[in-house]
Amino acid sequence: MAVVAKVWIDEDCITCDACQDICPEVFEVTDETSQILAAVRVDGAFDRNTGGSPLVGTLGAELGDIILEAAEACPVEVIKFELVSEGGDEAPAAEAAVEAVVEPVAAAAAPAAGASEALTAVMGGDRSLNILFGSQTGNAAGLAEKTAKMAANYGLEANVVDMDGFDPARLATMKRVMIITSTWGEGEMPDNADAMWNAINANGPGLAGTHFSVCAIGDSSYDEFCKAGHDWNGKLAALGGQEAFPIKECDVDFEPPWQEWVAEALPRLACVDDSGTLQVELLEEMMAYGAGDDDDIVEGDFAPGIIEREALNITLEVFRYCPEAAQSGWDTLSCAVPGHATVQDLLLTMQRDVDGSLAFRRGSHAGTPTTGVRVNGRVVLADAVMVGDLTAEGGRVRIEPLPGHPVVRDLIVDTSRFENHRSRAEPWMRTDPREGQTLPSGAAMGAVDSAAATALHQAGDVLSFQLIQAMSDTLAHDPHYEGPGVHFQQWLRILDPRTGEKQRQSLLTSLQEKDGVWSEADHASLMRYGEDGRLAARSLNEARSALLNQTRYAGKSGRLVKWYGRSVKWTGNVNETTLYRQVLGPLGLVSNVFSGVSARMALAFTRNGSPPLRGLQGLLFPPAGVGRIPKMFNSKVDDYHEVVSLFNEIDQRF
Amino acid sequence: MAKMAYYPGNVARAGALEVEDTIQPMCKALNIQLVELPRASSDGGNVIKQATPKLQDALVARNLALAEEKGLDIITACASSHAIMRNTADDMKRDPVYANTVNNLLVRTSGLEYNGESTSHHLLHYLVEHVGLDKIRDAVKNPLNMKVAAYYGPDMQRRGACGQDDPFMPTYMEQLITALGGTPVDYDSKCASVGSTSMLTLEDSSLAMTAAVLSDAIQSGAELVVSACTVSHINLDSYQSKAGRQSGKNTTIPVCHLTEIVAFALGYFPDRFAQLKTRVRLIGS
Repeated sequence: MAVVAKVWIDEDCITCDACQDICPEVFEVTDETSQILAAVRVDGAFDRNTGGSPLVGTLGAELGDIILEAAEACPVEVIKFELVSEGGDEAPAAEAAVEAVVEPVAAAAAPAAGASEALTAVMGGDRSLNILFGSQTGNAAGLAEKTAKMAANYGLEANVVDMDGFDPARLATMKRVMIITSTWGEGEMPDNADAMWNAINANGPGLAGTHFSVCAIGDSSYDEFCKAGHDWNGKLAALGGQEAFPIKECDVDFEPPWQEWVAEALPRLACVDDSGTLQVELLEEMMAYGAGDDDDIVEGDFAPGIIEREALNITLEVFRYCPEAAQSGWDTLSCAVPGHATVQDLLLTMQRDVDGSLAFRRGSHAGTPTTGVRVNGRVVLADAVMVGDLTAEGGRVRIEPLPGHPVVRDLIVDTSRFENHRSRAEPWMRTDPREGQTLPSGAAMGAVDSAAATALHQAGDVLSFQLIQAMSDTLAHDPHYEGPGVHFQQWLRILDPRTGEKQRQSLLTSLQEKDGVWSEADHASLMRYGEDGRLAARSLNEARSALLNQTRYAGKSGRLVKWYGRSVKWTGNVNETTLYRQVLGPLGLVSNVFSGVSARMALAFTRNGSPPLRGLQGLLFPPAGVGRIPKMFNSKVDDYHEVVSLFNEIDQRF
Repeated sequence: MAKMAYYPGNVARAGALEVEDTIQPMCKALNIQLVELPRASSDGGNVIKQATPKLQDALVARNLALAEEKGLDIITACASSHAIMRNTADDMKRDPVYANTVNNLLVRTSGLEYNGESTSHHLLHYLVEHVGLDKIRDAVKNPLNMKVAAYYGPDMQRRGACGQDDPFMPTYMEQLITALGGTPVDYDSKCASVGSTSMLTLEDSSLAMTAAVLSDAIQSGAELVVSACTVSHINLDSYQSKAGRQSGKNTTIPVCHLTEIVAFALGYFPDRFAQLKTRVRLIGS
């Protein structure tokens, strides 16, 4: 993926509209010329951006590929741009202006994921490497180019510099310098190096902050073998430069010794940090780092897969809501889309080609937690789920706002309820101050071992807590319910060994409260959403278990569990009559009598052929607390003592 | 004749005897032999799990082991029971150490062991995938001739527990209704929860959820709701009028079990079918 730092329009635009058609987010074609829109520029101006104002935020990454596509499509090639290197610095692309002397060759590599902190620190800051060549026949120039390409493996940004016309005073500002030079005639400088050599001898700068290494090319049949190289090596040292790696002499067959030199000199120069200090202790790690990258390239044993799927003809239905008109409805269109397109791709295309007013939350194509929508009944992240995973050829893709949140416009929901509940629930860390576990500042810190950290991570490894919140079928029907996304985070904090005891108790109390973890009517609505839903449901069930232990089956929920378990233990079967009596109590039963529930249940007049009065006898028994189930309601299962044994083995509380 | 171990669930032989009444002749007609598991107990209904997950899993694994002992898979007409069995089987398969712990308990208390060879099938998936809609269509004697809304609930609508049907946009029950001579009515809430056993503890939320499903079905033109879950049927039917009063929505619609409409269409209990048709006509839609 290309990341564009800045984009501008040169003169002679023919206003063909191609760029605007391809990337209307960035280009707008006026009567005279294409221009860069104000909304995408740091300076907020609307012109050709010849001043080179950068693109705002992450737009350069989000739209990079499309901008490049527009530049390629420009028939007069007036769209110019600069790319951002992986390291974050700007590296001009082919279209960008190039200095006459210094030609950037390779972008810097980012530190590997496993790099030590020290190596990562060295790889930050100024990583420039200047490779000066003195060349008569082009051999040294060729080696300089090759060296520059290899420098990228060590995170260096190499500039290949022709000595011709180069001001030697600039050497004083350079932290890393390589010189590759041939020797001409009887120990003479090549033509392109003559002037610079004379200049440095006339007025050489102090090079105390410069590390260097020299590769000398020559012919051993001459008396003054590699003299030019030795001259440079001696001069730089005399001016105070630090020799990072000794001079290497290369005979007529110069490639092998050059390879030896470059393999040693590059990592050493790469160990020179931003302050100009050679961190020699990092040499081994740096060499491994550079070699590792090289191995990967040569063997090609890892390359991110490119997923491509056949195009699908689908019917796209998108929910629309206009708050000003208080109207909602559906936009429906038939279209063909690549199966690997994400839901967000669909929405972007629809916004660009059909209706620019379509509102939805955009992500970065990496599973952005706030991009949740419901598609064909599933709650998903729009920037992470492919259309081909949601429907088949000829199928329907129905996109709705995330459930459980009020809709602001189209597919954008207001998540403030979730955020407010979360804010009140305080699921963030307040560590337990324990002796010996403090930061250098004296502030308390918690401690966690790797096994506990791994278990904790696995327990809460979900894409988005907003999605977990939206999985609940209860949430939409209980305005006070804090929701599973909030409670899940609270439970994870309780599980965290770094959590202080005071906070743990506070969180448990919060979970037990009226709008807490018992307010979820059915965990099955979470379970159906794959691994994330399963993790959430399991955690919320664990929270309930902990609370039941703490409260000794208090409240209706506790009574339901207690009496459900007891009735199963007594006979092997559930006794509904017992549950109704014990959980609802006399008042609840009376309420059901007057609301018609008992009549429907006991008399079964809405059922087809159910024997009337079947359950009435149980209701006539004295209310809660009698504690024995009439045998006439529940016959015991065969060998029911096995069930009793299971209860006794696992949980004797029933 | 296919032999299946029969697990009635927690209510088919208690509060929902009409399920028991109808599943037996229906299965005979479709050449399914239901083998009783007289030692099978309650599955804990996801209620015992709240206190001790291991206890619920042990109860479920014991039932599965009883079927495995006979070399049979289990069939049930209750979505909740089916999902509970599948969840326990999945958890034991995912974690062999946990499975070993549960099996040690089973061996000690019941002389049984569950090795993951038997599994559970919901009646709906078995009818569509194993019996076949053509065979069912051929066996119909009394076509439904009603607009029927299918209620699946959330329990079994997850990948791995609903056969080859789409977990989020299922169509199996609609296909079955069509085969039985009825007209399926599509509506958004067919997989939404109605609160299950939480009706006893979270009545306000459960009533609101129940009302939302029923009113959605009614507004979509349904004359009858058919439930694939015997537990959810209690909320949809017994609590129907209470849900309507609380929510202010129209929730009045006959609700029956999946087993009933299949049995009725296959010619069993014509008197009950006539009674149902009368109710549908009286209530209207």
